[in-house]
Amino acid sequence: MRPACWRGTLIAAAAAVAALLSGCATSPYRRAGNAGEVASALARSQAPASPSRSLVFLVLGGAAGPRIAAYDLAASRLLWTQPGEVTTRIAVGGDVIIHGAPPATGRGGLIVARDIGNGAVLWQRPLAADERLAGYDIDANAVYVVAQTMGAGKHGSNGSVVALDPRTQAVRWRHELPTGRVAGPAVRGGLLAVPVDSQYVILLDAATGGELAQVLSTAEAATFVRALPEGMFYGSRGVFLLSPATARGSRQSSGYLLAQLPAFVRPFYWYDLYRPEQAQYSAIDRNHILWRVAVEGERARFRDDTVVVHDYRFLFGFDATSGALRWAYSHPEDAVASTDTGSVIAFVSADGDIAAVDRVTGARRYQARLPGEMVRAATFDAEGFSPKLAGAEGGAGPAPNTVATLGAIVADPDRRFPDLKLFAIEEIARQPGREATSKLLDILGERGLTPLAIQKASEALAARKDTQSGDLLAAALRIHADYAEGRSAPPVDFLARAVAALGPSGRTAAPELIGQLRQPEITTAAAAQIAHALVATGAEDAIPALRDFLTMYRADPANDADPSALIAVAEALIKLGGAADRRLLLFVAEEPHTVAPLRAHLVKALGETDPGAVKTATRD
Amino acid sequence: MPRRSDRPLQVGGRGRGRVDHARAVSVNRVGTAIALGLVLGASTVRAAEPKAADAKPVGAKSNAKPDNAKPDKKKGSKEKAAADEGSKKSLPAARLDAARGALAGEDDAAAIAAAESLGGSGAGNAAEPLAELLAAGAAPARTEASLDALAKLGAAGALTAPRAFEVLDLYSGHHAPEIRQRAVKALGTIKDPRVVPTLLARLGDAAPGVRATAGEALAARRERSATPRLFALVKRGDAGAASPLAALATADLIPQIAELAGTVDDGVVAATLGDYAQRGDVPDRLRLDVVRTIAKLAGAEATTALVEYIASVPAKDDRPSKREAQKLLDERETAK
Repeated sequence: MRPACWRGTLIAAAAAVAALLSGCATSPYRRAGNAGEVASALARSQAPASPSRSLVFLVLGGAAGPRIAAYDLAASRLLWTQPGEVTTRIAVGGDVIIHGAPPATGRGGLIVARDIGNGAVLWQRPLAADERLAGYDIDANAVYVVAQTMGAGKHGSNGSVVALDPRTQAVRWRHELPTGRVAGPAVRGGLLAVPVDSQYVILLDAATGGELAQVLSTAEAATFVRALPEGMFYGSRGVFLLSPATARGSRQSSGYLLAQLPAFVRPFYWYDLYRPEQAQYSAIDRNHILWRVAVEGERARFRDDTVVVHDYRFLFGFDATSGALRWAYSHPEDAVASTDTGSVIAFVSADGDIAAVDRVTGARRYQARLPGEMVRAATFDAEGFSPKLAGAEGGAGPAPNTVATLGAIVADPDRRFPDLKLFAIEEIARQPGREATSKLLDILGERGLTPLAIQKASEALAARKDTQSGDLLAAALRIHADYAEGRSAPPVDFLARAVAALGPSGRTAAPELIGQLRQPEITTAAAAQIAHALVATGAEDAIPALRDFLTMYRADPANDADPSALIAVAEALIKLGGAADRRLLLFVAEEPHTVAPLRAHLVKALGETDPGAVKTATRD
Repeated sequence: MPRRSDRPLQVGGRGRGRVDHARAVSVNRVGTAIALGLVLGASTVRAAEPKAADAKPVGAKSNAKPDNAKPDKKKGSKEKAAADEGSKKSLPAARLDAARGALAGEDDAAAIAAAESLGGSGAGNAAEPLAELLAAGAAPARTEASLDALAKLGAAGALTAPRAFEVLDLYSGHHAPEIRQRAVKALGTIKDPRVVPTLLARLGDAAPGVRATAGEALAARRERSATPRLFALVKRGDAGAASPLAALATADLIPQIAELAGTVDDGVVAATLGDYAQRGDVPDRLRLDVVRTIAKLAGAEATTALVEYIASVPAKDDRPSKREAQKLLDERETAK
């Protein structure tokens, strides 16, 4: 059984145990999976008000020291900068932002609240020595902090949620959770969701802390909760829209979403809120899936049937249903943070670029820059941000050239992305037209590619059978190695294979194949491929070159160990040549200086095609 | 297909011993010699036979260092006479048949000896059996011996076999560098302008020896079209291109060569400039600049270039550039 299946079985078993426990009067999860209670809780929740601002909060480093800055995307200007270090991620709500910070002395940490208008510190709340921060969220009414208290409770720890006044940190309410295994919360429209014990999500009234309902995720762990304007979501491997239909977390529910994505994509929909390290800015912010949802009642689908993958310097738009690549965008520097505003994918690069591309087409729609800044991380508060690029027709730049972008990914000397390069090669191969063929040829000429990448490109080139691009193959084959000009030989064996795949349409490249066959640096493998290609294309005009090759090397002991080129050339002469060539082959088969493997092959091959001709030879 | 040759490139060297003793079998009772005829009748080499007039041999002169702009008329006429004599001289048919038999026979040593004998004959028809052997293909030792023999015939002005160019052109693209180098050397002795593109192409060969041989051949032909590629080679620090470039360079190229100092091996720059200074057609005021440029270069090659320049000037010739070279040489010695 595969590990994934094991996980599923374990989850199902755990769910069964949980279901049993839910029937027990002493279980804290007796309400788990109650669709009616989830419906009531959701009914009390109100959709968030329309956003009135588009901001990004930047964690800056560099010579000026650690700072936090607020940038107004709409006005393209820096609002404020304040000194300060950031540990856990910035959260934004109302007129306050909060973030984690290292303690002034000792261990533990601080939760810091700042005025959104000027970045001034409103308050700092140190964590107690026995307290571990699980996470926090904020709305206009309160800051919600989930923490684990060590050394307490039946299982060695307790969990609790505390609601604090956003400007004064006065405690509004406290709610003790049934377990110490707790994760960061999410708040939306008066409803607070807190994942606990891996499988449950407890729904609280954000105003009072009263428990409203419990969700039981039976199909997969619930490692995250996420509040979006279109709804509250939870999940781990996939995404559940919180609704009565998903109160028991069935993947069969119409509220369950899982995008089809290629193998290189890390299926990361949201942070694992049980893991403290993921509450901090990390590589995850540079490599994750960006998604929004279209909600119709209890049904959910990915908005525009699109999900976007942020992979360091690259953004890819995929059809969520088929996994087909819709667009690809490449940025010169790593994007340290990104968000889907519902209209654009906004991102910030490490060197201070702030940009946005259309989430459906990938076209550039926004560009700004913070010169001279080193951006370590960022958090967006830009729901609905839908910029139009100044001076561009339709408010957007041209859609990115997918083939060119993918080609740039393959050619990129950055060695962090071997899987991505393979994906890019496969995607180029899927694109129709000469441009893609040309790009594959460029790739085969690249230095520093892994053997697997070269093999992929070669196979892709042959598999295309692009009969309109025979001239491109010919042009690539026209290049010869030249020391004086510092030029290397092209990958002749791969090119020859691609010509062979064209069949008679590849005949136009025959002169170039012949030219390569006469080059001193031709490898055994390439010579053999050329011979195959000449046969496949029916290039009878290659017969003199084949004869020359055969006679020149037939007695060279270097071919004893690997006679494949000689054999392929001899076979080509049998197939393409006439009576005179047969006489030549007969001579080569019988002449004692001819290397033994070729003689043996020719005796057999000639015997099969005309047994009488080698009667004497077989007798010998 | 890497291979190794232990046969020296110089004509006259003995090759390896017997390679194998495979039995000579006949094809449908056709002897090897007849089979060879069949092969040659079908080969492209035969099909692309050049006009005999095109395959004129180049004279024996192959020195890349033309020590004066005006060739020695006496020497030139002697060479021409030798070439004419060579092309007129021919071997009797029986000796050619015997040579063919030995070349195609089992005994490697006998085959090599036959090739050397043909090469040393200086006869106009001696190249035929050698070209036939190469067209039919042979083991490396025989191939090398045949190419050496053809080069020797070419040097003697006797490389008039119609198919010599095609065979040598083919072998100049052989996998083994030592075979390519021999083919290029032999090609260089053919006056036919068809050899120039091949020689130019071999300037881009991966093997330094092949490049150097091609460069020398082009310089000997005074083939000015080779200059940009030779300069490109010197720019890459290829020592083998120094002397040919010096032989072909025009005065306006000298500053560009001098500017390479520090970017490539200074020894290559010194060798190029040193050889250029020795040319008889260079004005002495230009030589003076060249000598001073050489003196600014570090290393033993620069010293050698100065020493060789001084030695190349006749003792009674007291030209300023010689005096300057001596002075600069003395300063180098003192500085040591």
